[in-house]
Amino acid sequence: MAYYTVTGIMKRGIPVLLVAAIISITAGQLLHAGQDLLIAFPVLLILIPPLIKVGGDTGSILGARLSSAFHLGLVEPVGGVVVRNNIIACLVIGGVSCVVLSVAVWAAAILLGIGVVYGLLLKITLIAGCIEMAVVFAATIGIAFVSHRHGLDPDDVVIPLITAIGDIVGIMAVFVAAWVVV
Amino acid sequence: MPERDDYLDRYTSVKSIVGEALPFELVCTIGGVFAGIILVKMIDAIEMIPGLLVLVPAILGMRGNISCTLGSRLGSAIHLGLISRIERNPELINNVAGSLTLSLIMSVVLGILAHLFTVALGMQSVGVVVLVSIAVFAGVSSGLILAVIAVVITIGAFRHGIDPDNVTTPALGTLGDVITMLMVFCAAKAVIWIWHITL
Repeated sequence: MAYYTVTGIMKRGIPVLLVAAIISITAGQLLHAGQDLLIAFPVLLILIPPLIKVGGDTGSILGARLSSAFHLGLVEPVGGVVVRNNIIACLVIGGVSCVVLSVAVWAAAILLGIGVVYGLLLKITLIAGCIEMAVVFAATIGIAFVSHRHGLDPDDVVIPLITAIGDIVGIMAVFVAAWVVV
Repeated sequence: MPERDDYLDRYTSVKSIVGEALPFELVCTIGGVFAGIILVKMIDAIEMIPGLLVLVPAILGMRGNISCTLGSRLGSAIHLGLISRIERNPELINNVAGSLTLSLIMSVVLGILAHLFTVALGMQSVGVVVLVSIAVFAGVSSGLILAVIAVVITIGAFRHGIDPDNVTTPALGTLGDVITMLMVFCAAKAVIWIWHITL
């Protein structure tokens, strides 16, 4: 008898994937609703996939590290140094990634012949990145603490939920940033 | 215990966390830009196939979840000594078959959900058949490519004495979005091509 079975993999996978599917279809509806804006400013289409990735990744790093800290019994009150340093580190990683991202998107836009002013792009990326990280990190910390308190393994719950929430927040953040800047 | 305190200091210092995670995150970010470039190249298809844009984040998300869990299960399996050869290995076959079956089922669900949500919100959708076809083609083909990459990297890393857990999931995360977006692009082109033939 094999240790991994097809039915076992499906039973464990489907519930989480269904929840993530509903959240990410909602994210897709937001994109669809803003389709005219995206076609008018195609540079936003280049920006969205990597930006939601940065949000999801930094949220996942934070979530995974907080989960390990819970397992190790290192998390005292919410304001403890372990939680604080992890948040600061993830903010630094996200911030640097956003700056590099704005340069990479600018270079890609030039290569594709899409005209864009770098200053505007940097502003949109930074505003959207800040909104994304503020919401995603708050959600990550909340979900990690709540799932720990209710005896769930944060590793199972935090990451799939965080990447899906990151999609919705990231898309909304890009629209908000574009609206603020333009 | 001075050693334990040293370890904890390093484990929780901002500098060491940033130093370990930032380089990989930057590589991932650049990978994401390539996915964005493919999305821009799809503008014509997005305009011709209403509802395609709804599917994009969902397919990318599903692909990421299924591939990364496959990568991390393969890592655990090889550590447990369950994978010693590639050919006719039930653990390997079950893992890949399980993840492809999940991709197939979830792609059909995504296509149907995308259509229903879009119509329910009063927006235009190209129809459930086209959206399900795009999701299934893109979901299963990218799943197959990433499963092969996962198996090759896991076994290759293990044979060279590298822990597959440290390599497989990051590699799948970086390549996943680009390959999946490319497959969505191909699926959309194929649908448009078939349409023109039948119309």
